[in-house]
Amino acid sequence: MAIDKVTSAAITDGTITSSDLASGTIANQSAFKNIIINGDMSQAQRATSTSSITSSAYHTVDRFKTNISSLGTWTQSRDTTIPTGQGFATSLKMDCTTADGSPSSGDFLNIGTRFEGQMVQYLKKGTSSAESLTLSFWVRSNKTGTYTAELYDSDNTRYNGKTYSISSADTWEKKTITYDGDTTGAFGNDANVSLSVFFWLGAGSDYTGGTFNNGTWGSGGNNTRVSSSQVNLADSTSNEWYITGVQLEAGTSATDFEFLPTDVNLNRCLRYFQILDVGSNCPLYTTGDGNHNRHIRLTWGIRKRATPSVTSSASSGTLSSLGQTHDSKSFYVNVGSGGGTTGLNANVTIDAEL
Amino acid sequence: MINKNEIQTVELKYHLFDNTPLYYNVVVENNNLDIHVPLDEANTDYQEIQQWISEGNTVIDNGE
Repeated sequence: MAIDKVTSAAITDGTITSSDLASGTIANQSAFKNIIINGDMSQAQRATSTSSITSSAYHTVDRFKTNISSLGTWTQSRDTTIPTGQGFATSLKMDCTTADGSPSSGDFLNIGTRFEGQMVQYLKKGTSSAESLTLSFWVRSNKTGTYTAELYDSDNTRYNGKTYSISSADTWEKKTITYDGDTTGAFGNDANVSLSVFFWLGAGSDYTGGTFNNGTWGSGGNNTRVSSSQVNLADSTSNEWYITGVQLEAGTSATDFEFLPTDVNLNRCLRYFQILDVGSNCPLYTTGDGNHNRHIRLTWGIRKRATPSVTSSASSGTLSSLGQTHDSKSFYVNVGSGGGTTGLNANVTIDAEL
Repeated sequence: MINKNEIQTVELKYHLFDNTPLYYNVVVENNNLDIHVPLDEANTDYQEIQQWISEGNTVIDNGE
């Protein structure tokens, strides 16, 4: 039948149902199909560039953590180098500033992002109906070769790595990797980390020395997690690596990247980290409690994943806590019997990261 | 996010009113800010401090 004969007028209601369509005819169109948060690298609350990186932390782009042990020194930035015509405005860039051409056995470097167990229950991991997962992303590097992208189940210490190749130097390439569902080991239904994605950039033999699991879920030890062909991106200060458009979705096919409105994307990031600008010298209030204490209660606006760590300071005196929740925190400063003035300094940091 | 390798001191602090253990006050290298870490096992900084303790380090506890 010619396609122009398939019109709405020619089809009686109810004639065609989803079961009549071949698998994959209609790709995953559900809202929030992308398990990855901030996959377009647009949010970078902490900083847009951080240099001299030698320790593990969230340095720049929200939700993407650098995991490193003694493998080079790096500058990480939210960069504007992007794949042309794909709708992205930013990427995450790793730039090697001190090389390490001979990693020791325990050395490693990867970029990872983590997800709460309660966010991924619908993957049905650990059941006979476990969903396959498809990871897609744009990547670019001067250093061609084999890289490892890994799924990691923290609840059951199971992992599944697959390789991808960067074929052309300094050229954006889109990669798609499908991982089988894992019928062993369910995710905890809580706010703790269950699933992670790691993009490996280098590793010593403690991670590469065994038989690479290569697409099979297992728990054979750290030395099965990374391909022995894995590139060492730290081997030259000329090396750099970019990534953007990261999407992880249920199913066996990669669909178009799910662009979220900026405010929605930011709010998703705020569940894990927030810098609350309270202005300079935000007043603390006398309560008349007889202890010469001055108080203030701050609310985060977005409920945090867990009770967060809070980093702050007062213009004078030591900040103490009167208690905190997922939503807010009370501070006080004892100003002593002589009175005095003090205020909360700007940029209170609220951290409930995974 | 705290890195246990950068921790200098951890002090247990108590609630002003009811004297219950409330949070850790943490001092880390190259940072003179007050870092308050809740006694919440789901907090990854709390988890990091537990590892720091398991490596033989001691939390300052001056009591209520």
